[in-house]
Amino acid sequence: MPNLWQKLTQHDGNGWWNLPHGPSNEPNPPHEGPVGGPWLANLWRVATYGGVSHAGPGFYWFVGFILAVITLLEVWLFTVESLGIWFIPILLILSLGKFVGVMAYFMHLRFDHLLYTYFFASAMIVGVLIFTIILFLSEYANQPVLF
Amino acid sequence: MTTKSLTFPRLFPRPKADTGIWSWIGTVDHKRIGTLYGITAFIWFIVGGIEALLLRVQLARPENDFLDPEAFNQLFTMHGTTMVFLVVMPLSAAFFNWLIPLQIGARDVAFPRLNAFSFWVFLLGSLLLNVSWITGDAPNGGWFGYAPNSSTTFNPGIGMTYWVVGLNILGVASIAAGLNFIVTILNMRAPGMTMFKLPIFTWMTLITSVLIVLAMPVLAVAGIQLLSDRVYGTYFFDSLGGGDPVLWQNIFWLFGHPEVYILILPAMGIVSEVLPTFARKPLFGYPFVVFAGAAIAFMGWFVWAHHMFTVGLGPAANSAFAISTMLIAVPTGVKIFNWLGTLWRGNIRLNTPMLFSISFIAMFTIGGLSGVMHASPPTDAQQQDTYFVVAHFHYVLVGGALLGIFSGIYFWWPKFTGWFLNEKLGLTNWALMLIGFNFTFGPMHWLGMDGMPRRIYTYAEDMGWETSNLFSTIGSMLLGLGILVFIINVFYSKMNKKMASADPWDGRTLEWSVPSPPPPHDFDEIPQVKYRDDFWFKKHPETIAQYYHDEHDDQDQAVPSGAQFDGDDEAVAVPAVAENKSNGHGHGGIHLPDMSYYPFVLSVGITIFGAGFLTNTYVIAAGVPFFLWGLLGWSMEPVNDPE
Amino acid sequence: MTQAATTGYQDPIENTSTGLSSRKLMMWAFLASDVMFFGTFIATYLVYRGKSLVGPYPSEILDIPVTSVSTFVLLMSSLAMVLALHYLKNGEKNKATLWILAVVVLGTVFMGFQVVEFRLFAQEGLTPRTNLFGTTFFILTGIHGAHVTIGVIWMAFLAYGSHKGTLRSDNSMDLEIAGLYWHFVDIVWIVIFTVIYLISAADGPPPGAETILH
Repeated sequence: MPNLWQKLTQHDGNGWWNLPHGPSNEPNPPHEGPVGGPWLANLWRVATYGGVSHAGPGFYWFVGFILAVITLLEVWLFTVESLGIWFIPILLILSLGKFVGVMAYFMHLRFDHLLYTYFFASAMIVGVLIFTIILFLSEYANQPVLF
Repeated sequence: MTTKSLTFPRLFPRPKADTGIWSWIGTVDHKRIGTLYGITAFIWFIVGGIEALLLRVQLARPENDFLDPEAFNQLFTMHGTTMVFLVVMPLSAAFFNWLIPLQIGARDVAFPRLNAFSFWVFLLGSLLLNVSWITGDAPNGGWFGYAPNSSTTFNPGIGMTYWVVGLNILGVASIAAGLNFIVTILNMRAPGMTMFKLPIFTWMTLITSVLIVLAMPVLAVAGIQLLSDRVYGTYFFDSLGGGDPVLWQNIFWLFGHPEVYILILPAMGIVSEVLPTFARKPLFGYPFVVFAGAAIAFMGWFVWAHHMFTVGLGPAANSAFAISTMLIAVPTGVKIFNWLGTLWRGNIRLNTPMLFSISFIAMFTIGGLSGVMHASPPTDAQQQDTYFVVAHFHYVLVGGALLGIFSGIYFWWPKFTGWFLNEKLGLTNWALMLIGFNFTFGPMHWLGMDGMPRRIYTYAEDMGWETSNLFSTIGSMLLGLGILVFIINVFYSKMNKKMASADPWDGRTLEWSVPSPPPPHDFDEIPQVKYRDDFWFKKHPETIAQYYHDEHDDQDQAVPSGAQFDGDDEAVAVPAVAENKSNGHGHGGIHLPDMSYYPFVLSVGITIFGAGFLTNTYVIAAGVPFFLWGLLGWSMEPVNDPE
Repeated sequence: MTQAATTGYQDPIENTSTGLSSRKLMMWAFLASDVMFFGTFIATYLVYRGKSLVGPYPSEILDIPVTSVSTFVLLMSSLAMVLALHYLKNGEKNKATLWILAVVVLGTVFMGFQVVEFRLFAQEGLTPRTNLFGTTFFILTGIHGAHVTIGVIWMAFLAYGSHKGTLRSDNSMDLEIAGLYWHFVDIVWIVIFTVIYLISAADGPPPGAETILH
């Protein structure tokens, strides 16, 4: 079992830096049509299987339905007045859910090569960090002590 | 296979010529595009250098009236903008274009037409930026364009609008080139060349490209915001409407700090190729150099506020950014020790490229150390906006990036042209540049410590700054003389050609395995790569055991036999590429992408579109037909016309 | 199972070092670039949130029900997009053409909503030159609208191609790449809808605005 350093740097092509492997070539699990059999179990299998996509129209309709429901929920939460300080965090979490839903299933990141996820995630990580810092800088500029 | 596809009516036949103006406008050859980048950037280098010399003449003696304040402002603004965006970045791009396909064993970049597009946008954007000299109203707000000094309230002329539009157009070129090289390096590697067998210059190009792709959009946003403030009267940076000028500084330096690593990382890559070649040893600690580069690229995002220590962000923010700034010196220091380790006990040949590279290490270290000095906020409060800062960043940009690039020019010139640059003139060039450089920017350290502010167009007689400034001006003339010697060298060597073999330096990487200059298709046969520095070990197989045992005492890590790629999907996938590419017809059985003029048309459209913001809406509209013509023609044009 | 399903989302034509389509890789790199682009605009909006010195403030002008409908429309266009790609890969040409057309129509409807919204705001006295909210709102949503417009034109060409038979399952990568762009524009709107509309909708004048002005 190679240690971390070897995994990062080894020459024979199996290091992390040699990029993740593509979709697996394992045979497809038995599966008829987009949503068949006990459909919820089937949905779960489609949604969580990281390899060859088994998603069909039914699955995409389901994801679209969930996204629409979340949007409705957001708009409804907007009318609820008793949320107080929880309003913004809840909305951010809900929109993050929508964000991830579209990324993972509509943009196929869940079924696709990890390299694409790396590309997007690197920009998201850098972006979210620096823009959060900018918000802090703007909010707390000129204050003698931050903490 | 018959495939239907949409076609776009051709107004002109597809260019086919091998010589003449159309062969350059329609070219998609990475080597020709590299040459275009190099020549254009060098011309801008001369322009920017003349601007700098004018500034130095003005500052040679106190109370000088050689330039008026307005001209001085325009000159230092355009000097900075030119050197950063029109010289160092495109000179690096010239090396990317020339070397990346050769180093990874490919016949071209992943998107040859996009590559041509990058160049034409860069050329037209740089021309647009410099057209402002003709209108007599060049940008005068500094290369950082600080709001509100760059807003119409305080800067009513059109100069800063030129600056914003020019930079945004150049940003398009940089992003397109960055995307192209990321994909090229990841996807076009020769069979067997895994990521950790990439030449180090290729690694630095990859890291630089990632930085370009992520940082340039930030500048684009800053530009769009400033442009809308200037042209449409919005309030982004206008405090009368509640806008916050500090936001400009945040956004600009958010781009600006990754930008300095965009400038220096390619030079670091060049030096990391030159040193091992002339020390006749592999690069010491290759993984460290790679990871240090990646660490610099990541940490470079979190240090931007050190440009703003005196803005008043508060002690907490200043402390945090001071720490991150000091931390980023660590990976940089790692690289310096790797270079020293490469030289250690090497069989060193001291010729022009090597001398430039060694001077790079020394000068860059000096610049890096003064950088650590003003990483400390209290120190920075003394040094902010003084000549000390000018000295610092010229030591890293001229002593760093530029010496590195010159090292690369002397190193790869025989590969690019097939003949050597003259060694004696080269040594003169090196000596004059190094001495002139230190005479120019060395005295600025103590001028800055003595309190001389930046960007003043003159100074009083009793300040005690006369001698140092005079020295500095004389030094800048020497530096200019050094560049002149380089130009003479090019023409002299061209007239008295000393021809170079394919591998004149006993090189290490794949570009030395092809003839000098390389044929249009680069590689007759796509090479199979077994080792890092594969070409060297093919020439000197007796050294394999020595180096691979040194690096891997662990028995599990067997000496790579080269034939085994078990478990590596690349070994399965990639031979197909080689086969695929060598089975075609024409060009000795090799298909090259056909030429295309659409990239040029599209870049004309973008430039006219941008120029519209400087003139009026009709000009914006006039750009649209070119834009659509270029875009639609390009997207419906097959890479190769059916034969 | 069809060919599309067994090859996953790899382009069968491309033989590259990573085995991935160069064009798709570039589209993802471009989207990473666009993340920083929109990120900077959104950060600007957030920095200036609640700092407008004069009205109209978001609380006086934003119409959440109407924007909810347009948000829903854009979300459904994303669904149409992914269905179009699925049918195209399966070789069901007519269904694919229909769903690409649905993307075009839904995108156009979304743009229609935005044009109407901009006009209404202008009538109610909010322009980019009114206050910071106007400045940041119009530039951010305007740039997003420009992205949507480019996407609509792109999709219109693809719909035409699918109808003519030049876009088929074997070059479905063309549609997949356009789809990535389209979904990205959609997720940007997800963020904009939350940040500008829902979270800021109650924003009024900043504390102390009266004293600043008078």
